[in-house]
Parts: sequence; C-alpha cells; structure tokens
Amino acid sequence: MAKDETYDIIVIGGGVTGAGVARDCALRGLRVLLLEQGDYNHGASGRNHGLMHSGARYAVTDPESARECVEENAILRRIASHCIEPTDGLFVTLSEDDLSYQQTFVKACHASGIKTEVLSPSLALLLEPSLNPQVQGAVRVPDASIDPFSLTLANIVDARLHGAVTLTHHTVTDLLVNNGRVEGVRAINCRTGESQEYHAPVTINAAGIWGASIVRHAGIDIQMFPAKGTMLIYSKRVNQMVLNRCRKPSNADILVPDGAVSVMGTTSDHIALDTIDALRVTDAEVRLLISEGERMVPSLSSTRLLRAFAGVRPLIASDNDPEGRSISRGIVCLDHASRDGMEGLITITGGKLITYRKMAELATDLACSKLGVEVGCTTATTPLPGSENGKSARTNYIASRKNTAANRHGSRSRQIPAEDTSDRTFVCECEHVSVGEVKYAIDQLHAIDLVDLLRRTRMGMGMCQGKNCSCRIANLMARLTGDTAQAQQDLNTLLDERWKGLKPIAWGQILRDTQLTVAIYQGLCGLDKAIAGRKEGQP
Amino acid sequence: MTTPLNTLIIGGGLSGLTCGIALAKTGRRVAIVSSSTSSLQLNGGAMELLGSVDGKEVTHPLEAIVSLPPEHPYQKVGVDRCGTLAVEAKQLLADTGIYTTGTVEQNHWRITPLGVTKPAWLSLRGMATSDAPDRLPWKHVTLLNLQGFVDFPIQFVAHNLSQLGCEVTVRDIFVESLCQPRRNASEMRAANLARTLGTGSKLRQLAEAINQSTTNNEVVLLPAIAGLEDDYPVTLLRRLVNAPLHFLATMPPSVPGTRMAMMLRHYFKMLGGTYLAGDTACRAEVAENHITGIYTAKTPDKAQIAKHYVLATGSLMSLGLVATAEGITEPLFELDVDAPIEREQWSHYGLLGDQPFMHFGVRTDATLHGIKDGKSIDNLHVIGSILAGHNPLTMSDSTGVDLLTALAVAHEIIEK
Ligand SMILES: Cc1cc2nc3c(=O)[nH]c(=O)nc-3n(C[C@H](O)[C@H](O)[C@H](O)COP(=O)(O)OP(=O)(O)OC[C@H]3O[C@@H](n4cnc5c(N)ncnc54)[C@H](O)[C@@H]3O)c2cc1C
Ligand SMILES: Cc1cc2nc3c(=O)[nH]c(=O)nc-3n(C[C@H](O)[C@H](O)[C@H](O)COP(=O)(O)OP(=O)(O)OC[C@H]3O[C@@H](n4cnc5c(N)ncnc54)[C@H](O)[C@@H]3O)c2cc1C
Repeated sequence: MAKDETYDIIVIGGGVTGAGVARDCALRGLRVLLLEQGDYNHGASGRNHGLMHSGARYAVTDPESARECVEENAILRRIASHCIEPTDGLFVTLSEDDLSYQQTFVKACHASGIKTEVLSPSLALLLEPSLNPQVQGAVRVPDASIDPFSLTLANIVDARLHGAVTLTHHTVTDLLVNNGRVEGVRAINCRTGESQEYHAPVTINAAGIWGASIVRHAGIDIQMFPAKGTMLIYSKRVNQMVLNRCRKPSNADILVPDGAVSVMGTTSDHIALDTIDALRVTDAEVRLLISEGERMVPSLSSTRLLRAFAGVRPLIASDNDPEGRSISRGIVCLDHASRDGMEGLITITGGKLITYRKMAELATDLACSKLGVEVGCTTATTPLPGSENGKSARTNYIASRKNTAANRHGSRSRQIPAEDTSDRTFVCECEHVSVGEVKYAIDQLHAIDLVDLLRRTRMGMGMCQGKNCSCRIANLMARLTGDTAQAQQDLNTLLDERWKGLKPIAWGQILRDTQLTVAIYQGLCGLDKAIAGRKEGQP
Repeated sequence: MTTPLNTLIIGGGLSGLTCGIALAKTGRRVAIVSSSTSSLQLNGGAMELLGSVDGKEVTHPLEAIVSLPPEHPYQKVGVDRCGTLAVEAKQLLADTGIYTTGTVEQNHWRITPLGVTKPAWLSLRGMATSDAPDRLPWKHVTLLNLQGFVDFPIQFVAHNLSQLGCEVTVRDIFVESLCQPRRNASEMRAANLARTLGTGSKLRQLAEAINQSTTNNEVVLLPAIAGLEDDYPVTLLRRLVNAPLHFLATMPPSVPGTRMAMMLRHYFKMLGGTYLAGDTACRAEVAENHITGIYTAKTPDKAQIAKHYVLATGSLMSLGLVATAEGITEPLFELDVDAPIEREQWSHYGLLGDQPFMHFGVRTDATLHGIKDGKSIDNLHVIGSILAGHNPLTMSDSTGVDLLTALAVAHEIIEK
C-alpha cells in the first residue's frame, strides 16, 4: 500500500451509518475510503434491539423521529428485504397500564401517518398467544424485525463492488488540519501497529458515540449524550410479533423476535463518556429486564436466557434530561465549516439504525456540494446486494424454523462454496454454518479473525454459545489463513467474548455449561498454556 | 434383595466407581445410582495427582502436596497417606484392566488435544507422553488425521508440537468406510468413530491406510479413535501398524475417557456391585444428622436403605451442585456449600484463569463426612469433584482427588 493515499472522501466508522455513507458515495462515483477501528458493527450498530420501527414508539413524544421512521421503514422494505422479517408489532396495555393512553397513542400515530388497528384483548391473544392473558388492549402497527448485521454488511459489500476501499481494525488517531481545513486523517493498523496518513478533501465523521473525540482533533466540541441500553436474549423465540408496552417509552418495555430468539430490552442510563469502551451489564439491569419481560410475556420465566449485552446510543445532548429519553432521536448532520469554521469535515450522527440511509444521503449530499459533484442519490431505489430480486424477504422464521445461510446472506448465498462434501460439512451445528460459508466469510466478507467470523455467520451464537464449535472453527481459520499462532490467540479472544455476554446471567444451565467449557479448554486442552507460551516471546 | 446394602453410592463417575470397586472387592454389598454420563468423557486418557501450585508446574507431586492449604482434600486424606493411596489406585486401575504408565514419585507430561504438554501422574497405555514439559521423545513425528474428522484440531497440534523442537509431517488419511464427511459433524465424533471402527475389517483398513501413507517413520501419532469398550483395538492397531504408534487425545467425547468409564463399570458389576444406570437420587430422609433412606426417580415410593452413604455427584456440570438465581446448593441433602452469596462474585470476566465457581463445593469434616447446618452427618461421606477446597483446573489435581478421596473413604467404611 502506498505511503500517502488520496481519496475524494474518507469515512470514519464502520457502523451502519458509515457503511451507508460509503455505499452512497461509491454509487455516486466518488473514490471513498472507510476506516473502522474494530470490525463492522463494532459500536451501536452491533448492540441494538434490531427493531424496525414503524415510528409508533416515537409518535407521542418525538414526532420528528416518528416521521423519519415512517419514510425509511417503507424504503428499507424495498431495498433490504433480505434483512427484514415483516412481523408487525403490538402496543399492549397491561393491567397496571393506563388504558386511556391508547387513544393518545393512536391519535399521534395518525398524525405521523402510521397505520394502526385497535384490537380487542381476545383478538390480540389470538394473534400473539404468548401475551399476558390479563392484557387490557392492543394496537397493531407495522413494526418489524431487522438484522443489523446483514444490513451493514450488505452496504459494505455494495460499496466495495463500486470501488470503495474499506479497512477494518484501523483506528483514526488524528485529523490532518491545515489552514482551517481538514485534509485527511492519520490512522493506525491495530494488527500491525503501523500508522499512516490518508488524504481527502472531505472527511465524514460517522463514528457514533466516539464522534466527539474525533472532532476534538480539530479543536471542535460536540456534546454527546451517552445513553447505555442493556438487552437480554432468550434462547427461544417466544413471540411472533414485536411487543411494545403502550405507555410513555420507558425501561424494559420491548420484546423483539429475531430469527430463532427473542430479545428483551432495554434499559437507559446516562453514562460517563470515558466508560463507553468498557460496558458492563449489571445485576440490577438483568433483574429489571427479567421481571418486566415476564409481565408482558409470562412464559419467559421458564425460557432459558442465552446472553446479555449492552450498547450506547449515539445521541447529541440538547437539554438537561437525566434519563436521555426525551432527547431527540432525530438525525444530526453537522457542517463544521458553517458551524465551527472548519472546512472539509462533516459529522453525521443521532438517528437510528433504520434511518441510516437517510443519514447517509444527507451527509453525501453535503459532501458532494463541497466537492462540486452533481450526482443525485439513488440509494432509496437501488436494492442492496442480497435483496436484488425484491421478493427475497427473509424467510419467515416460523416457516423455516432454523437459521440458514440463505437467511444470513440473501441471494448472495449462492456464492457460498458447496461443490464438495467437505465444503458442505457443518462446523457449527447450532446455527448450521458450513465450511463453505466460513470460506465465503473470509474471502468475500473479509472476516479477519474469529470474532469477525461470528458476526458474519452467526457461528457460536446459538445454544452452545461456542462451546462445541469454537475449536473447530479456529482450526479451520488457521488452515485457511496459515497463521496458527494467531488463530490460537483468537480462540481465546472468542471464548472471552462469548463469556462476556454470559457472565451477567451465569446461573443455572449457563453456569453449568460454562464450567464444562472451562474444563474443556483450560483443563483438557491447556489453551491457557498454549497462548502463554507465545506471550513469553516464542515465535 | 434380602441382604441390606452396606453402602449406597450416589454418582457413578470416577470417584463413585472407584469407591464402589474398593468396597465390592471386600465382599460388601454396594449399589451405585448414576443419572447420566460422567465427566470422564472429558478425560483424555491421563490422571493427574498434582500438576501445578501457584502457577508453577510440579515435577514431584508428593513433595508439593505437603505445602497445600488445610482445606485441600489431600489434607483431609492425610498428606502422608497420599503416596500409598496413589499406588493403590494405580493397582486398582490395573485390576480393572486399565493399564497405565507413570509413577507417583515423578510427573510426566501428557499431550493435550491442542498439542501442548501438561503434567500427569498416570497415562493410559498407548497415549503419547513426554518425560519433560519442553521437549518430545522424538525428532520427527508423522501426525495423522482422518479426513472429515473435525474434533482433532490438527493445525494447532502440529504447530504446538513443532514448538517443542520436533519436525512434524501432517497427513490426512482416507478410509472409505469411516470417512463419509457428513452434513452433521456430530456423526464424526470420536466416540462414534471408535464404535464404527470396531475390531474387524475397518480396523484393518485403517491400519493399511496408515501403512500406505507412511514409510520409515520414527513415530506415528493418531487421534485416539480406537477402543471404546476395552483397549484391545488399541493393541491390535499398534500391532498392525509398521511404525511405533501412539495416540493423542481429541476434543470430547474422548474415547480413552469413555473407555475408562466403561471398564470401571464393567469391573464393578463383575465384583457383584449393583449399578443403577439412568436413575437419579432425588430425595433423602435425614434424622438427627443420620441418613435413614434415599429415594430415586425410578422408585419414588421405596426407600433405598444402606448402612453407609457416599455422595459422589460431581460439581456443577454433573449437577452435584446447582446454581439457581438465588444461590449455590447441593440439591440432594442440602449440605453446607462453600460459595459466595453475591451472584456477581461467582465468576469474573476473562474465561480461563482461576474462576471462583471452580472452587465451589460441599463442606466436609476432617474425615470427609458431609456437613449440614454446621453438623456432620455420621453415615455420609463426600468424595470427588463435589468437594470444596481447591480449583482442579489451576492445580491439575482433579482425578487424583477423585481417586484418593474415594479410596480413603472406602478404607474408613471397611474399618467401621
Ligand atoms: C440499546 C440500543 C438499542 C437500540 N435499538 C434500536 C432499534 O431497535 N432500532 C433502531 O433503528 N435503532 C436502534 N438503536 C440505535 C442504533 O443502534 C444506532 O442509532 C445506530 O446503530 C448508529 O449507527 P452508527 O453507525 O451511527 O454508530 P455506530 O454503530 O456506533 O458506529 C460507529 C463506528 O465508528 C467506529 N469508530 C469510532 N471511533 C473510531 C476511530 N477513531 N477510528 C475508526 N473507527 C472508529 C466505531 O468502532 C463504530 O463501529 C439502538 C441503540 C442502542 C444503544
Ligand atoms: C439484533 C441482535 C440479535 C442478537 N442475537 C443474538 C443471538 O441469537 N445469539 C447470540 O449469542 N448473540 C446475539 N446477539 C448479541 C451479540 O452476540 C453480542 O452480545 C452483542 O452484539 C454485543 O456484543 P458484546 O458487547 O457482547 O461483545 P463484543 O465484544 O462487542 O463482540 C460481539 C459481537 O458479536 C456480534 N454479533 C452480535 N449479534 C450478531 C448477529 N445476530 N449476527 C452476527 N453477529 C452478531 C456483534 O457485532 C458484537 O459486536 C444479538 C445482538 C443483536 C443486536
């Protein structure tokens, strides 16, 4: 790679927003470079609820966000059908909730153009038998379940098909500021430790909650409002529709069906900006989510938990709201030339997963006007790779009852090697990941390490949480990349990563399985010794 | 069913079976209740007495035992008795038909499924071992794997063996009748391969394939996929292969571990012991620190009565201990358990290392009687990995604790 590289646009951040910007720029013929410090979806885009809002949740409290959702919801159903399961959603009123809020809610939905249907308790129970039988009422809305991982990846794949360069495990450490202009960035390759400059007339900051630290390199201040949200994953899909409490948005009031599992969330707590890289799920959050979840769906009390995780909403603070709930979830696109007198720098943040496309369009439009490029945006009508034939909506989970490569990669799953039997052999039995799919993820989706692989394929994300398959896949990775020492190190990293989401809920069967996992990898295998040897300086 | 039971053992893993065999040998009437397969299927064909203290590997286990803290099970057995009990254990295994190499005076090193060395006391005959942690007894090894068998991480084995200064040649071998890579990896598990291999033509085909793909070898290493019920297939294969052949442990279910379990069970029954497989002890009657009967899932209305009871139900993974959201309990007798109350203190981030939950166990008095509400139960002994007082993974002492506490308790019962 050349020492100095020049592009039209540099995008910082490989979440859904950065990926969307890179795709939009590439489709408009710009030479674009995307830099991501971890893997794609390392930030909020990999740690959210996976709810494709109809806008209903924000209709009462934040009509601007609601309208953004309505528009983008309709667009995503067209361009990203392979990432979406059209489940619809219910806003339910439980016995302790105030039924009169239902009217306020329905009225507000109408004002924002969101379709609603008020259901009797018995009809609601017929549609969604998992509901608490004491439900007082329910409103049906066009919510859906969306897979953020496939969504971001599809944007990356298309950006690259149109010439974009995207580098993961590259952290931007500085902005190159010259005469009141940002002329590029300095980034470090986290794997090799090498640092390098990249040049472009326009840099787009899509670093989410990390965005404030990016612009600080140019002496600019933005006030981020880090709001931590914790979610619990149940090992079985208990509900078929998205379930919301019909009340003012508050903690622990949404249950989203996602493929074979159900995700309960979320909490919301303002946290200090310097803790965003070391998020820990607390016992209090776990207790709250469990008790509120069981109120809405009683059968959760007998459903095994799979995992707990937390993310940080990249919101921009505007007023003094200690909970961060009434802060607008609207899109924020900052032109730092007009705001701060700094040319060549744009920040795009706020919003939501499902408004990423709109956000990308706004940022790219602004960048184009700076570059004097007059090409319009086509992302609202151009399907993403995997959704080209429009009809390939994610197989309804109820019909297929399993996770498949076709669900994960849409129509592109045809490119997965499957000629010989060894390519078709499954390495992860819970999630049906074949040797061929691992090869595809490495070659086509540039997975670099085992945790990357997990994000591309869902290996290790099922019931066994990697206990059975981690070692097989690490060995396969070693064979395909030729770097065995690294794969061994990565195996340990993968086990730690899986454990991180189990520790907060480690009792019952989970603690039992964990003891087994430790007995296998530490006791039987001596993995700790294998990697310690390497740390002591052996090649 | 007229003569009353002398001893009822709950749990048929390594410790329960060993205790049962030692008692049955003296003619006592013994029964074992065991609910499912034991953790022996994780055993790669080696026993460890004491492999590591304070993060340092131990060469002479009997010398290191002396310095163990008072709560360690070896202290309850009596550190000066450990040597003789260990010799007795090796003999008991040999009587069972489980032949091992290794002595109590000095550890040797087993080779793990990743190809790293770990200290061991006894290794099953045929397993590859070394007499030092940082080298192998060979200059050049030929490492074989069966095509499609994914539970032997051969890249790691080759890498780590070569780190020990040895030249490694890797070969995939193909035996039509064994290697039909299937959609379902669980069909190509080690135990299934061993079952398919048997002792007949397929075993001969495997030997032939090995001989064809290798000539003039110093040593050939093969994943342990032979000999599920006894070690005859191991012996046969070693006779049929032209080069010296040793076996390496695989990922679970491990064939050598399963074989040990099967042979111990077989021997126990041969000695007249009663083995109630697939049954679970689910309720106990305790009166004034004395057990008066046990009820099992299959005979919930009829108490199993014995003079002595031995609890050998293993740790969390075998359900000897149960973690509920509220606390850690021993479910059968509700014995006193050593574990913190606060859930957040049960474990820490970073999976491998000294995890608190590996220390959890049942409290016992100086003679390994179970303790309930602070008082010893006079006819209940506790043995094996349900015992508190150590971390079997960081100390590499799990099988040693199983065997030695089992024998110590058997002696107690015999002497009574
Ligand atoms: C708990 C929770 C629940 C949510 N639920 C929903 C939902 O149900 N539906 C919905 O639509 N939205 C939801 N959201 C919102 C949604 O997740 C976010 O709005 C969206 O993912 C933001 O994407 P992003 O790309 O802007 O930010 P991020 O995904 O955070 O991406 C920023 C990226 O920049 C990278 N980066 C940072 N610094 C650097 C650097 N110096 N160099 C290189 N790279 C860098 C980071 O690693 C990261 O990958 C939720 C959010 C949270 C926290
Ligand atoms: C909508 C949604 C559904 C989820 N479903 C599951 C599930 O069924 N089983 C499970 O074990 N975990 C699931 N997760 C949780 C996930 O494994 C991580 O715990 C979570 O993304 C946060 O990461 P972390 O902080 O635990 O760990 P990190 O160190 O941040 O790394 C874990 C990474 O796993 C990746 N990941 C998470 N979910 C998926 C997915 N569905 N597909 C591909 N990659 C993924 C994320 O990028 C995440 O960064 C889900 C997460 C989301 C957002």
